[in-house]
Amino acid sequence: MTDRRWSSPVFRLKGHLDAILTGAKYLITPRATVRYPEEVIELPEGYRGFIEYKKDICISCGLCATVCPANAMKMYVERAAEPGEEAPAEEVKPKRYPGINYTRCIFCGFCVDVCPTGALEHVETHDVAYEDFNSMIYPPGEFAAGPPKPEFDTPPRRLRPTMDERRGIAYEPAD
Amino acid sequence: MMGLLEWILDLLLSPWLFVPLIYPGLISAFAVLLFIIWFERKLAAKVQLRYGPLYVLKRLGGAIQLVADLLRYLFAEPIVPDQADRLAFIFGPILLFASSYIAAIAIPISYDFYAFRSEISLLVVLGLNTLAPAFNLVIGWGSNNKFGLIGGLREGFLITADEIPMFVSALAMAVLYGTMDLVRMVELQSEWLWGIALNPLAAVTFFVLMLLSTSRFPFEIVEAESEIVMGPFTEYSGILYGLTMGASYVKLYVLSLLFAILFLGGWEPLPPLEFPGSWLILPGAVLFLKALVIMCLSVFMRAVYPRYRIDQALRLAWHYLFPASILSVFLSLLVLSGWSI
Ligand code: SF4
Ligand code: SF4
Repeated sequence: MTDRRWSSPVFRLKGHLDAILTGAKYLITPRATVRYPEEVIELPEGYRGFIEYKKDICISCGLCATVCPANAMKMYVERAAEPGEEAPAEEVKPKRYPGINYTRCIFCGFCVDVCPTGALEHVETHDVAYEDFNSMIYPPGEFAAGPPKPEFDTPPRRLRPTMDERRGIAYEPAD
Repeated sequence: MMGLLEWILDLLLSPWLFVPLIYPGLISAFAVLLFIIWFERKLAAKVQLRYGPLYVLKRLGGAIQLVADLLRYLFAEPIVPDQADRLAFIFGPILLFASSYIAAIAIPISYDFYAFRSEISLLVVLGLNTLAPAFNLVIGWGSNNKFGLIGGLREGFLITADEIPMFVSALAMAVLYGTMDLVRMVELQSEWLWGIALNPLAAVTFFVLMLLSTSRFPFEIVEAESEIVMGPFTEYSGILYGLTMGASYVKLYVLSLLFAILFLGGWEPLPPLEFPGSWLILPGAVLFLKALVIMCLSVFMRAVYPRYRIDQALRLAWHYLFPASILSVFLSLLVLSGWSI
């Protein structure tokens, strides 16, 4: 207690009244959150969601797996098929490709930053529900097939957050 | 057949069954429980600019969220820990809930409808209400858990700190009205003024102590979720946990009814309406509404206050509320002597 006025009971009583009045004021302030599955907010540029992997420009350097602080990115040994062929030919040398485990990923974005060829990139998606842990692990093949998409029962309304002088945060329809 | 129905209806409407079982007893206590917990969450959410419970019955803003929660508690397995004292562990919550609501039987709901009228019905309500915390101690001890024990001890500290000033401030009103009969108190208030206008000090003290004794914020010290998990109720699960959680709300309900009778004129003033059964329904409804407003005010505190430490709460109770309650007795005497002059 740095302010000496707090030692006076009258001042403290006023503090209690102030607190209750502040609570009452916020009771009639408009809400600052949105009803998520029906309304979604537009995410800012550079949002770190799920990761998109472009296998064709990956050079198998393994930097992403090295840098990953959560051990979510892992190199798999694979023999890739030539374009147009079903299975890889016997004589093709196995190569290493990254796969991701979203049960561990903390969406820090280090792998995206470190990738020398830009084979990894964030997408906006961040809201996908899985039924079990195993389906959250993406070996290189599935990883390259693109990031998962969220499923909504009805298409949600999109809202854009804006700064409001008085209220702080406000929302306006995005389209 | 008609005779049987009438007989059953008569039985239900007789005060000795209606009061403990329907209103203000068990059934309305449950209804209040369902409403007030939802309302508390909704209110806290609104103050924090969120939505709160919404998806169970969306049109009414998730109003039956608590029914869903109750069903979940009912179907969850109540686990009894190996090391716990089985008897205390299982019967503790049941007795806690029962003793929280038992005081409702002595609360009259109109001039001529009560299960129990006596010269000392105020003392009966207060006394029965003091039973409940003892079972918190039993639960805390019986569950053989550090957090439970700490929570139980905290309850032990708080019982004396809240019940004594609460008795004194309620008795200040008894001094003022010159009776401890709750029915007579309402009668006198309708002749004079509401108790809250006659002795505001006692009303404020009683209200704060009500928060303290039912562990509403800022005195949610016994449970203190972020420090000692859930205090005495740490080991509980399933419907046994549901009972422990409901008990403090039921106690709040009974005390709110008492507050409405002591300070807010009970079932007076009655709206001038006439319809069949209005002699029974109207006074009860007025009393209920007043109690409901008090309860809503108490749960609103959750949105405003953080939790006091136990020493702060004890200091508040012993240094401020206890002297205030004694002062309120003098205030009563002063008002009384002013009245007779
Ligand atoms: S975002 Fe971070 S945690 Fe996730 S895979 Fe990339 S480096 Fe690992
Ligand atoms: S994704 Fe990028 S960092 Fe990872 S192995 Fe391929 S090229 Fe290297």
